[in-house]
Amino acid sequence: MRTDDRLHAYLDGELDAASALELEREMAQNPALRASVERLRELSAAVRTQADYHRAPARLKRAPHEKRRWFVFAPAFAMALLLGAGIALYLERPGEDTELVASHVRATLGNRLIDVASSDQHTVKPWLSARLPYSPPVADLSSEGYPLAGARIDYVAGKQVAVLVYYRRLHTIDVYVWPGEEASGGAFARDGFNVEHFTRGGMRYALVSDLNRNELRDFAKLLN
Amino acid sequence: MSIDRARYEALVLPHVDAAYNLARWLTRNDHDAQDVLQEAMLRAYRHFDGLRGEARPWLLAIVRNACWSWLRANRPAELPAADDEQESDTPGPEALAAREFDRRALNEAIAALPLPFREALVLRELEDLPYKEIARIAGIPIGTVMSRIARARRLLAQALQPAAVPRLRVHK
Repeated sequence: MRTDDRLHAYLDGELDAASALELEREMAQNPALRASVERLRELSAAVRTQADYHRAPARLKRAPHEKRRWFVFAPAFAMALLLGAGIALYLERPGEDTELVASHVRATLGNRLIDVASSDQHTVKPWLSARLPYSPPVADLSSEGYPLAGARIDYVAGKQVAVLVYYRRLHTIDVYVWPGEEASGGAFARDGFNVEHFTRGGMRYALVSDLNRNELRDFAKLLN
Repeated sequence: MSIDRARYEALVLPHVDAAYNLARWLTRNDHDAQDVLQEAMLRAYRHFDGLRGEARPWLLAIVRNACWSWLRANRPAELPAADDEQESDTPGPEALAAREFDRRALNEAIAALPLPFREALVLRELEDLPYKEIARIAGIPIGTVMSRIARARRLLAQALQPAAVPRLRVHK
């Protein structure tokens, strides 16, 4: 140990009893040494009383929220969520398609196919937006060979959904429209019915018809 | 994983000021200190069930390590060189003659100390920790704590001497 370090340790009360006693004996005979210790004591006191003590901002004096804890795992968490959602979507899609087909069949079998019968989009659109929390776009495609027959409101996958009804020759095409972004597109066939999905302008579209797949796809392109 | 939030609040939160003061002195600015501390507090919270013994040195050790990691990544120039413990000039106790301490000069002089000495001095003088705990927090032997504190005070006294600025430093 440096002699000098010994003075600091003495000042800090870290010197063992025997060494401290010895140093005190030396100090008694050596005024210069005594003065050195005194100056050290002053310096130490100055640091203790005059150096800035920085206090933490209040926001750091709270236990972290669970939310904030998750933040650290956010990338992994997002991946897991995405994967989960993908699987859920994959599993859910056939169920949703089945439900859409069932809805379409129920509507065509009974006489509840159309709630508002009109070939005028300016009649159909306000009728729908008055009854739903959103306003689905209604396109006039009669010149393309798809006259508008009207619309109804149906109940699919736990929510109220706008259904635009178009005709193609003797076929009926139900166009289900609801707000959502999740579907990127796709097709489904069941019991001679075809389902065509796409997303446009924050709306999900599901076309259900007994029309052949190619024509239904062409119709989807007209709407998209 | 269940964390006893109430226990964390009671044991750890009273020492956030000490933690911040250390982070602030090691990073030398408020913004960085807050970033580092926030990160360190998260770590403390997550590893709270690993706490044995006193919360204050435990928290200070976490914060200290977070500061060093942060400095290593962001300001590597401030980390000590390998031979930093060797003193090139060794003024004796007679160099310690600073009676008139100007508050601002004192703070600047502490801030100007190389990291290992600043750290030891802050833990000793501002947190009043014994050498043993400083050794635990900084992960160094007690003898090193002693020599670092001694050298920190010598450097400080030198910097605070009225004649320190124009004085020519004589090497060897």
